[in-house]
Amino acid sequence: MQMKKSAKKIQLTLNVNDEQREVYISPNKTLLEVLRDDLELSGAKEGCGEGACGSCTALMDGKPVRSCLTLALEAEGAGVTTVEGLAKGERLDPLQEAFVEHGSVQCGFCSPGMLMSAKGLLLDNPHPDENEIRRAISGNVCRCTGYTKIVEAISAASEKQETKK
Amino acid sequence: MSNYSFIGKRMARVDSTAKVSGEAKFTADLNLPGMLVGKILRSALAHARILNIDVSRAEKLPGVKAVATGKDIPAVKWGVFRYTQDQQFMPTDKVRFIGEDVAAVAAVSEEVAIEALKLIKVEYEELPAVFDPMEALAPGAPLIHDDFPGNINIHVPIHSGDVEKGFAKSHYVREDTFSSAEESYFQSEPYAVVANFDMSGHLDIWMPNGGPHMKSKPLSNALGIPLNRARVRKIAIGGAFGGRSEIAPGDLICAVLAKKARRPVKIVYSREENSIATRQGHSMITTIKTGVDKQGRVLARDVTCYMDGGAYSSTGPIATSVPFLCMEQAYRMESVRYNGYRIYTNKPIRGMIRTHGRGFACGVDTQLDMIAEHLGMDPMAIRLINARKTGETTNTGSYVGSCAMEETIEKASEKAGWKEKWGKLPPFRGIGMGCNSVQTGFPMGIRGGSKAMIKFNEDGGATVISGVVDNGQGNDHMLVQIAAEELGIWPEDIQLVTADTEITPSDPGAYSQVSTFIGGHAVKIAAENVRKTLFQTAAPILNVGVEEMVAKDRLIYDKNNPENSVSIKKIARISLSREHAVTGEGEYWPKVDPKREWVKNPFGQMCGAFSFGTTIAEVEVDPDTGQVKVIEVTAAQDVGYAINPMILEGQFQGSVAMGGQGGILTERHSWKDGATLNPTQLEYKTPLACDMPKINSIIVESVDPEGPYGAKEAGMSIAMSAAQAYSSAISHAIGVHMKEFPITPDKIVKAIKDKKEGLIEN
Repeated sequence: MQMKKSAKKIQLTLNVNDEQREVYISPNKTLLEVLRDDLELSGAKEGCGEGACGSCTALMDGKPVRSCLTLALEAEGAGVTTVEGLAKGERLDPLQEAFVEHGSVQCGFCSPGMLMSAKGLLLDNPHPDENEIRRAISGNVCRCTGYTKIVEAISAASEKQETKK
Repeated sequence: MSNYSFIGKRMARVDSTAKVSGEAKFTADLNLPGMLVGKILRSALAHARILNIDVSRAEKLPGVKAVATGKDIPAVKWGVFRYTQDQQFMPTDKVRFIGEDVAAVAAVSEEVAIEALKLIKVEYEELPAVFDPMEALAPGAPLIHDDFPGNINIHVPIHSGDVEKGFAKSHYVREDTFSSAEESYFQSEPYAVVANFDMSGHLDIWMPNGGPHMKSKPLSNALGIPLNRARVRKIAIGGAFGGRSEIAPGDLICAVLAKKARRPVKIVYSREENSIATRQGHSMITTIKTGVDKQGRVLARDVTCYMDGGAYSSTGPIATSVPFLCMEQAYRMESVRYNGYRIYTNKPIRGMIRTHGRGFACGVDTQLDMIAEHLGMDPMAIRLINARKTGETTNTGSYVGSCAMEETIEKASEKAGWKEKWGKLPPFRGIGMGCNSVQTGFPMGIRGGSKAMIKFNEDGGATVISGVVDNGQGNDHMLVQIAAEELGIWPEDIQLVTADTEITPSDPGAYSQVSTFIGGHAVKIAAENVRKTLFQTAAPILNVGVEEMVAKDRLIYDKNNPENSVSIKKIARISLSREHAVTGEGEYWPKVDPKREWVKNPFGQMCGAFSFGTTIAEVEVDPDTGQVKVIEVTAAQDVGYAINPMILEGQFQGSVAMGGQGGILTERHSWKDGATLNPTQLEYKTPLACDMPKINSIIVESVDPEGPYGAKEAGMSIAMSAAQAYSSAISHAIGVHMKEFPITPDKIVKAIKDKKEGLIEN
């Protein structure tokens, strides 16, 4: 926190959800802070601030990252995707649709991070089995659901992708 | 099968699209023009007299717009009950736990706010502190509140029947002591508040809450503003689990800062603050003496429970009673005596939690297992012989109008293969059963009922206005399902205005599992009333009596001749043309005994209905490491009637995670001199996806005579019984009845070793 005060601000260009965004920030700002405070993308949440809960998960070039432990500087030159970038216009991503249909959302605070971890998984491994799904979302804490319906939804979304091909 | 259009159907929740798209706004996501960052200075001492607070340097720091201390709030102490008023939201006399709110600032940025907190100088005189409830009770212990001698915050004494006679005629009597550590809610969303005050004294405030009206009244009292100016607004809420019902110091502090600064203020708690400065679950030490006849029927039970309540009362009388009530509802007893003590210590404040009483309920069930073992009975048989039945009255005088406890035991046993597995599993494999019952409501006086209003629009759509709040459990969807069913329109035709105290009439909130039973019921009655109005207008058009009409699929028609129909939209427009806008209202108040009081008169009808749950867990223990692998869990609950089975399954699954997997295997706080050593998610282990077993959910429907469509509480009975099932299964696997919860690997390894060395009899 001391550092923040003294840090000199810098100009940074980020590619977030396929848009070039210019920000003028302290270099010690995290990606999560920039997303929420500077870019007004509040989908990513801060649940713990220490990389334990996964609520802040975003994708960098398709790989899930903890945006609370990632400096915004590290995201320069990468394609950042947040939960706001999943839907295409009014059309939800198949993963989002599956979360809705399967009742995977209760309080919904962990959902954005959970969806991004799941998206990262399916980009990397389009046909994961149940264990692979559980492992992939084990960095995302959900206190409401017991995870059953989240796992079901991710599995259903992966099958949906399959039938599309 | 029912004729319902929407009730009883698996439906996707109305709030889920906003939540998966990132559109749903939680309190920390709010940004108002000119908004300041609020931060709270917390006590680093467990017990100390406040000699002086000097805020002058903080006030002078550029960017600081307001500083507040206890002198800025009324000196009156707050408490849920008149006799528990013990908390000043920023104390002026002394601090009583590490993390207590001492002063606060509002500044233009987080950095400035943190800097300002460092400039506040508090002079303390440190006092001796006490962290253990039994030490707090001992003579000569430091006194935490002058007007509560012996540090006894609450004593609930109950005696029904004659336990001494019961023990005297018992075939077998045994006494055991069980204990459990503190647990935490770990709601996904850390606590946050946004407040805005205008020059005319109107407060707008947003925060996660278990009942907006439960927040606005104490805020209006503390701020000295009329209730219609203390406006708690609706916002998405990231979980509550019982921990967000009362007013929190942060609510008032944020409002005071906003008032002083004349700008909106946002306070976002860190995860650590959420753990230490909101609420925790009580730790408990429970001694249970039970006497049974030869068949295993409980003739007498005498329970003494000491709960560590932390520094203030919170919902003390309720918290001290609920574990006992759950037990007396679940199991029949000829006579029972209960002495519950809630003790003050210099630790964070304890409140109600979904798994409240694992140190009590797990004890009752573990002891039943021990008694069954002595009598040569199956644990299932001893539960069945003592299980509550419909039409009975509990020891404290609550009539049970619906109860399918036996059915939950039988169905869960069948699904889990109990008969094939009990006593027949290989070494270090075990199966265990837990049964519990939870209240659908508490006597809540003038806050006990809910009223809803419905406004019908000329396009055939409706707006439903209700005080019900959704903490994540699906209450919003429940209201839509009920309104759509009764009005004969589609869920997408309904909009909600809920959980906003300016617009909605009084409602008890999600507290005490009553949202469907009371708030949903009120919407049902309001919708029935609106439908009557629509029918009256339609009668001359269809040329049939109102009793012959049905409202369904946006139409009103003659039930004997469905072709004879008219659209609801048309009826709404005809009404308007006759100078009548279609609206309606309805309210529901549960049939409870208004004279029942937690301490002074704990007898009489407790609530409108009770739910009953049985969970069975099957586990495998690694004897070398003490690690427990959970193979399968089966949860069966009598929910009355399932309004949305998909939502219920989610409640069951989440309950198994919180009550069983977390509650028995990992979740506990550890301490050093009153400091919570594991306030964060790195150290406090809540279950992850890779930990969770397969869960079978069994919905049992007893169709409660009072509940809307027969519905009652859902979810909490599973959280409680899952804890009992997990503990019973581990005990079965290792052949030692475990008495300290959670049952962590170190305890398991020690128990196995002690047994091997003959140090444990059972």
